[in-house]
Amino acid sequence: MEAALAEKIVGSLKAAGVNLITFVPETRLSEMLPLIEKDEFFKLVPVSSEAEGVSIAAGAALGGKVCAAYMEGPGIWVSSYNIVTVGVRYGVPMLLIVGYVGSMADKRNTFLYVEYGIKMVAQLESMGIEYQILRDGDGLETKIADAVRMMNALKKPVALLFTGEFTI
Amino acid sequence: MIRYDCFEWLAPQMKDELVVTSLSGQRVEWGHLSHRDADLTLGSMGNALAVGMGLAIALPHRKVFVFESDGSLLLSLFNLPTLANLNPPNLAVFVFDNQKYSGTRISWPTATAGKTDLAAIAKGAGVEHSVLIREFEEFKREATGALKESGLRFVVCKIEESLVHRKIVRSNVDLLETKYKFVRYLERTEGKPIFAGRG
Repeated sequence: MEAALAEKIVGSLKAAGVNLITFVPETRLSEMLPLIEKDEFFKLVPVSSEAEGVSIAAGAALGGKVCAAYMEGPGIWVSSYNIVTVGVRYGVPMLLIVGYVGSMADKRNTFLYVEYGIKMVAQLESMGIEYQILRDGDGLETKIADAVRMMNALKKPVALLFTGEFTI
Repeated sequence: MIRYDCFEWLAPQMKDELVVTSLSGQRVEWGHLSHRDADLTLGSMGNALAVGMGLAIALPHRKVFVFESDGSLLLSLFNLPTLANLNPPNLAVFVFDNQKYSGTRISWPTATAGKTDLAAIAKGAGVEHSVLIREFEEFKREATGALKESGLRFVVCKIEESLVHRKIVRSNVDLLETKYKFVRYLERTEGKPIFAGRG
């Protein structure tokens, strides 16, 4: 991902009030991590599994933080139990920032990723998760703000799937 | 050592500490003995420690107690390296290890009935204060320390399997009601809104 796009994501998250982000490092959006790390507005929480990333974000959200769990696409499967258990069933708002690997617009799509990509939407829909697919930086701040408003209205996780220009 | 005895001793000493419990009998027993809005009885396996870590990070000035079970922690062992590296000084974790999946009704043994030592795993993950205790007096000492002192504390309590919780009438307070009571309590005591948005 180009540096300008990484800055745009981080600026948009900050503008939307997201102030705690759990993460397992991944391959498409990773350029945003150093930017988040050096900005004291954010609490950046490295985790060992996307599963605990979701549950830690849930706990922090109940404690008053505006939270996101950042992961690569397969992390949605790793954390599906946690998304349903503490996110959906308990009703806790959080943003799922997902590197949408294996999707049609993924510029680095290979056999390593494609099976996750083609099943992602069905997986999210099976859990009742609202989502947006983001292919470029146009209107990014508005789209992230919309997702945060949606997660707060629903009191459930909402996913942003980053592909296209974000995967270069 | 019996878990119910531990809870019966600890519950009256709790003031504004936050408590997160996992599933199993401990949710029923703690819910029976403690009737505080500061209790978050999660009702799921493999989540209490992570949710407790999140709370401890979000509210570093509040003491957070997590009550885990061996079965629940075994489902989420990846929490332990994260716990060690985050090292939240306001978090105390008590793992009530009865070496059984009691909820199965056939008391199927967990890995801790075999060779597995959860305190040693936590120690190896980097949690400095990780101890294994077997006696009620040791529990009282650790719990008192957790109430009065700062510093991450991870205590594996080897307990006898007890089926007290099966004799307790289950609460009709559902998960959403528990969540809202807990969040509204935090909003009152922290003096800030937590859930954004008004109707």
